Amino acid sequence: MIEARGVSVSIGRKCIVSDIDFEARPGEIATMVGPNGSGKTTFLKALSGEYAYSGRIAVNGNDLSDLAPAQAASVRAVLPQATSLSFPFTVREIVKLGLVGGRSGVSAGEAERLPERALAKVDLEGFAGRFYQELSGGEQQRVQLARVLCQVWAPVIDGQPRYLFLDEPVSSLDIKHQLIIMNIARDFAQRGGGVVAILHDLNLTAMFADRIYVMHRGNLAAAGTPSDVLKDNLIEEVFGCRLRVGALPAGNTPFVLPQSAL
Amino acid sequence: MADQTVAGVPGTLRYVAVGDRSSRARLVIFLLGVALVFTMLFSLASGASDASAVSVVRNWLFGATAGTDLMSIRDNIIVYDIRLPRVVLGALVGAALAVSGAVMQGLFRNPLADPGLIGVSAGASLGAVSVIVLGGTMLAPLTAIFGTFTLPLAAFVGGLVTTLVLYQVATRQGRTSVATMLLAGIALAALAMALTGVLIFMADDRQLRDLTFWQLGSLAGATWQKIGAVGPVIVAAMVSMPFLARGLNALALGEATASHLGISVQRLKYIAILSVSAAVGAAVAVSGGIGFVGIVVPHLLRLLIGPDNRYLLPASALLGAALLLLADSLARTIVAPAELPIGIVTALAGAPFFLWILLRKRGIIDL
Repeated sequence: MIEARGVSVSIGRKCIVSDIDFEARPGEIATMVGPNGSGKTTFLKALSGEYAYSGRIAVNGNDLSDLAPAQAASVRAVLPQATSLSFPFTVREIVKLGLVGGRSGVSAGEAERLPERALAKVDLEGFAGRFYQELSGGEQQRVQLARVLCQVWAPVIDGQPRYLFLDEPVSSLDIKHQLIIMNIARDFAQRGGGVVAILHDLNLTAMFADRIYVMHRGNLAAAGTPSDVLKDNLIEEVFGCRLRVGALPAGNTPFVLPQSAL
Repeated sequence: MADQTVAGVPGTLRYVAVGDRSSRARLVIFLLGVALVFTMLFSLASGASDASAVSVVRNWLFGATAGTDLMSIRDNIIVYDIRLPRVVLGALVGAALAVSGAVMQGLFRNPLADPGLIGVSAGASLGAVSVIVLGGTMLAPLTAIFGTFTLPLAAFVGGLVTTLVLYQVATRQGRTSVATMLLAGIALAALAMALTGVLIFMADDRQLRDLTFWQLGSLAGATWQKIGAVGPVIVAAMVSMPFLARGLNALALGEATASHLGISVQRLKYIAILSVSAAVGAAVAVSGGIGFVGIVVPHLLRLLIGPDNRYLLPASALLGAALLLLADSLARTIVAPAELPIGIVTALAGAPFFLWILLRKRGIIDL
């Protein structure tokens, strides 16, 4: 389990997030939602060891600040919002970088073919020889996810659960690939790993999240299951926007929800 | 479809994956190694004198006629004491400059980064120039102690001090900002050049002549003694660089992602900066301002084998050594029996190439 208690992050003199309690349990998808600038990414960067923080973060019972980069890399993989590249790597070379420091959890022989398997998983079969810079934004995002999956291919190693940190993993994807990616996350959790995801789509959140953490101005506004958290008044308070949960559009306006996927 | 088996035998022999350029890279490294050997032999055989390296090598191997007639004694001296040290030094300097360029580019995540760019070369120059100008007066005690090692030592110290100041300026709370580092490098280079200018202003006529030739860059005057002084530094720095390759690959995705992948980014940067300043300081000390090797060589190789540093670094060393030897052969034969400073040759070839890279990359990379 990943456990954060009273975590605050300041950048310069400005306090970006304050006093967050958070848990990511193995077998579950924990999502963070909230308006732009509410501190979701900052908190995730504290969880991944990128930002200094006050408070306590423990990963599988070990204090995060005691973990060396290589140790942390063997228990969690991080998908950032965007990744730019200055050299002409092929897609396969990028995905293989996932194996650079962590533990994929497969044998050396299997590891050789892991990039292809990971690419197939994110629906990029046949892209291995393409140049990363020539791909569309959505394809690049999926290549990065394939790299992240290589790093923690086995959700559990030596009885220790491992974690996926996903910062807006579906932000530039079409609906088909949004569902594919969220199903990968669900599958990872069902096989014993843990997932922390920042999402903006409340419908996807309601569909896939086991627990929702709602961030608002650097504070935790609510935490709980989707049905506990997604309420009209909370959404109005946090997002500043009067919406009604579960209301159908008036008249014949068509609407398509991810939940309707067959 | 990613599975291709060699010679069509299913599931046997070797697995060749699409998008994996490592077997091509290994082949290129092998060919570059062969090319370097031939370039060294060619450099050994060519020069203002008609001394034949072939006959000298034959003499070494069979010992038959060595020392028996005056011609072969002369040839022995020319090849063993003049050309061979020059070839060895040229190979060392070329390899050091090319690998340092490749490492800097990986570190700054910018294909145009170069040790010359962040002031390391300027700092090393300042160190060397102060020995040339002040060696007889203010720095006389140092020259008395270190003798001929004073110049390489001063260049090395100059390069290292610049790099350390740079690192202090650009690093805050354990994080190095690349933008600050580049800008600070420009400022430090300007300062070092201004101080060098003051020294040149103080120099007498003989020193001015020494300075001019040293600044233009040359491998002339290579001796086994010089190789003994800088060779170990360059070799040590080069040996550390392959250990950086995996980390530099991860760094291509950004510092945060490299760290998430399990790389100790601060340690990686520290070792890279130290190795580069040692190698560049040593190279500048013995050969002056030889430019563009660090940019041209890694760039050509990236087109050929891709940016994987596990292959790019050794390939850069081999190609850098071979190209510098070719440039040196050109420099000493084109106006024989006089010789051009090699820095002029590399700049004449390298500067247009640099512009060409800029034109090709315009709009693709942000500088």
